[in-house]
Amino acid sequence: MKKGKCCKCSLGRKLGRLIAKLLGLILLGNVALFIVFFFDLDGKLLFKVVEPLLKKHYDNMDRKDTLKAPYDMDKYPSYEYEV
Amino acid sequence: MKDLKHLIYFENLLQEANNELVQKARADGKYAVGYTCYFMPEVLLDLPGCFSVRLRAPRCTSPDIATYYMSARVCHYGRSLFERALEGGYNFLDAQMATETCTVTCRFQEHLQQKKLDSVADMKVIQNENFFCEFIDVPFKKTENSYRHYKEQLKYHVLDKLHEHFGIDISDEAIMKAIEQHNEVCRLINEIGDYRKLDKPTITGYEFHVIQLVSLVCPKELILPYLRETAEEMKTREPDERWPFRCKVVLAGSENDDPEFTKLIESCGAEVVADRYCYGAVESRVPIVVKEGQDPLDAIARHYLDTSNCPRFMPQNIMRERKQRLADLVKEYKADGLIVASNKFCEYWSYERVIDTVVMKRDFGIPVCSIEKEYINSASGQLRTRFQAFVESVEIKKIQEGK
Amino acid sequence: MAKKKVDIKKLARDFWHGKPHGERRLGELYEDKTGLYKHREWRGVKDTLYYFYMIWLYNYIFMVKDIMEMGGPLNFAKGVWRYRWVGQTYLPVLHWFDRGMEGMRGEALRASAWHYRGMVNETIRQFQRMFVADTKLHGGKKTDAWYHTMAHNETVWGGIFYPWSDHFDNVAMEMIPYFVTCHVNCHTVHNYIDAVQSIGLPGDPCPMCQAESGLFVMDDMPDYAPFMITSNEACDASVATSILQDWFYDKPLFAMPQPMQFDDPLVQQHCRREIEECWKFIEEQTGVPFNWDQLVKKLRLQNQLQEFEREKWEVAGKTSSYPINGVAQALYRIYYSQDGDRAIWHFCDKKVRKILEKCVSKKINTFPKTRHRVIAWSCAPLYYSHWCTWAYNCWGLNVIINMDSLMFDMSIRTDTYDHCLDDMATYHMWAPMRRMAVGGMHHIFELWEYMEKFNCDFVMMYDQLQCKGMQGVHGLFEDEFRTRNVPAIWMPHALPDSRTVSRAEIRRIVNDYMTTVMHEEPLDPSLLDFDDSMSW
Repeated sequence: MKKGKCCKCSLGRKLGRLIAKLLGLILLGNVALFIVFFFDLDGKLLFKVVEPLLKKHYDNMDRKDTLKAPYDMDKYPSYEYEV
Repeated sequence: MKDLKHLIYFENLLQEANNELVQKARADGKYAVGYTCYFMPEVLLDLPGCFSVRLRAPRCTSPDIATYYMSARVCHYGRSLFERALEGGYNFLDAQMATETCTVTCRFQEHLQQKKLDSVADMKVIQNENFFCEFIDVPFKKTENSYRHYKEQLKYHVLDKLHEHFGIDISDEAIMKAIEQHNEVCRLINEIGDYRKLDKPTITGYEFHVIQLVSLVCPKELILPYLRETAEEMKTREPDERWPFRCKVVLAGSENDDPEFTKLIESCGAEVVADRYCYGAVESRVPIVVKEGQDPLDAIARHYLDTSNCPRFMPQNIMRERKQRLADLVKEYKADGLIVASNKFCEYWSYERVIDTVVMKRDFGIPVCSIEKEYINSASGQLRTRFQAFVESVEIKKIQEGK
Repeated sequence: MAKKKVDIKKLARDFWHGKPHGERRLGELYEDKTGLYKHREWRGVKDTLYYFYMIWLYNYIFMVKDIMEMGGPLNFAKGVWRYRWVGQTYLPVLHWFDRGMEGMRGEALRASAWHYRGMVNETIRQFQRMFVADTKLHGGKKTDAWYHTMAHNETVWGGIFYPWSDHFDNVAMEMIPYFVTCHVNCHTVHNYIDAVQSIGLPGDPCPMCQAESGLFVMDDMPDYAPFMITSNEACDASVATSILQDWFYDKPLFAMPQPMQFDDPLVQQHCRREIEECWKFIEEQTGVPFNWDQLVKKLRLQNQLQEFEREKWEVAGKTSSYPINGVAQALYRIYYSQDGDRAIWHFCDKKVRKILEKCVSKKINTFPKTRHRVIAWSCAPLYYSHWCTWAYNCWGLNVIINMDSLMFDMSIRTDTYDHCLDDMATYHMWAPMRRMAVGGMHHIFELWEYMEKFNCDFVMMYDQLQCKGMQGVHGLFEDEFRTRNVPAIWMPHALPDSRTVSRAEIRRIVNDYMTTVMHEEPLDPSLLDFDDSMSW
């Protein structure tokens, strides 16, 4: 009987700690996200790091020379429908 | 070559829209009907009792008031027409038959129109009590739906309005008579123009340009005798012993009613042997064929859509066929190259010129000179340099090919 | 030296409510040139937390969710790597929210943000559909999605494709790669304008069409459909753009031009037949017959959107409780009207309706510092669509309505095929930038009528420098403004191209007018002059 009570207590404590930890983590996550939000860190990361890297990539991409695209005079028919 | 008898007279007729022959026709009680675009069939405006005048604004270099109304960022042609209208240069017009076929000429014609709205005051530009301006809607395709629509538009907005306002006879017989007269003009212009196909053409591009233009801006009945005489004269005209040019070119592009531009090209050594541009003869002087039992208005509607090579047509096959048509012209007129000229701010031809420049050279082996110009060519020095360089490159090509 | 007294009460008030309009200095939040924030604005506890959770975090989360649900992260990653317009543009999308909603509070902040959410969702749907179907991302393989997607010009109304919407999806070619990018990151589009000019196109045609062609020149258009439908709207340059699109895309193309003289009853019949021909073409290409029931179902849904729009306009015109700011109103309206019916628009409208009803019942003054009720006319600068937010914050110029919103003002009858087709033809002909801009001289000056209807006292007249149609009536507007004694600012711009007239130049023009003509003082002097030349 005594033993059982003790067991319940420690389970409750464990659960309490877990919930507290979880709440703490959530709070921490929220605070961290809020800092990112408030100081525009997402914008700064994208502007100063991601976009320059991507631009570099796009500027150096091999691209098809579209001026070499064929232009067949009679490839497509005249679309005529009775309505 | 011997000078053409009527060339100076023709040149004088081009100095003013309200020229000597226009005045004479009006004095005879005929109604003057203005238009700007090929899609307004001139043949219908030449019905007995009225006559067509394709509008030009010669010598208009500074369209100041028009620039206030339309800004400096639209095509010079549209602004020049409007300036001329504001100056009173088109007060002789009894009507303007308008098309919304390019934005700026549409706006110019809307300014002429009395809209009678509460929301905006009309400008009374044309000082002529009879004057009215009517618009037609022009299709972008050459399908049965388009022909039908175009015909309806011509019937309602052109024929019926001419009849309502001026009592013009719009019967089939009257239309057939106008077609007959129109076809005679076409036959004569083509006869004169065909001399450009000779190895040593007996007519210059400039001369032909002047002749074609007078046929567009003068009453047909009054200009015909001069055209007949010129055609006769051409039969015996001998070329110079030494051909004064270095190559032949087809001139394609947007609106061009300035023979001085053709003269500029020819002064650089390139004879202009075909004119595939707005106001040119390649399309406008194809005779109209009315088949047995066919309604003449139907024939006209089909004719004007079918013959046009305007970059306004959007179906895929037609966009592509236009390039083939240009290549065929180069071959037919034995030209050595192609000059594609678009007016500054002309959106249709800005794009068409890009693709012509690449495809005509790449797929047809035709040298292309691609230029942007103003309505009145004040920048002739720069253009001269471009044309001279082009002529040289064509010559080099000919030498390399052993021609 | 006397020690500056700290006003605790005021500090507490500013903390709780945010600094009031008139005292706050939003311009001080910007980093020089980049437009990034030293820190985002403190709008008071409630609004800051709302912005943080319900706008910033909510939209980040839902952007990820949308991507997972609509095509998955792999297709997205491939698309980002392959196409500049998505990578360079859509990552900083939350900054687009920031710019549009700067300084806003309360219900206006909430309602406008829902409009933005709708646009983000629909944008993701479109580009993800492109990527899923794109042969360029799948080693040239034509997937099932490729066969079930229809490509069209962005000026072809999405409603044309309703009859097939139960089996097929339609995606406008330029809506996402061009149009939306300009609003989110104004620099991306320069690449496409430069590309088309590099092959010889002069700089004077409409820059929108230049950019649309440039996408094809740079080979930056996904190959996501077996055929395409093109349109002449809104102008000559749009017609001409299809010349290059046909060349570089090289696939069956059906041209479905809208007649120009749309007031002419004869034209209606022609337009109806054009639409029917287009449907035949689609039937031929897809092998799937036209579905009338599906068309009716979707049109009815679209009509619901229109009905709510009219309710919104009632509030906008008759009260000061309209909770949607100028930029949200303009972009959302043109987006859904052109795009057609989608579930997300109904979802957002439901949210906005709640807010709207609250504003009306509680008589909330949503833009309390309004000095002038503005109507914005003609086509707006895409790279500075959020000028409305700036103008309200700086000068109290509150944009109530704009021309683009008003163009599509019609419900489509679905009782008979005839009525339906008549109305569809009209809707089609009133397409964007046409009825009251490039075309329709008879409608351009409806401005005065709408000024009255929306109770506006001020005009912001957009001056698209390369729009031939609007340039062609410039002087008439000048005359009318003078005759009617209407205060109007001409705002020059080049639609997507921020290099022609910069945002700073636009602000300078507005500032000059407000000080020299209106003799007014700015509400927030820190916004008068700042450098955002590198800003998205």
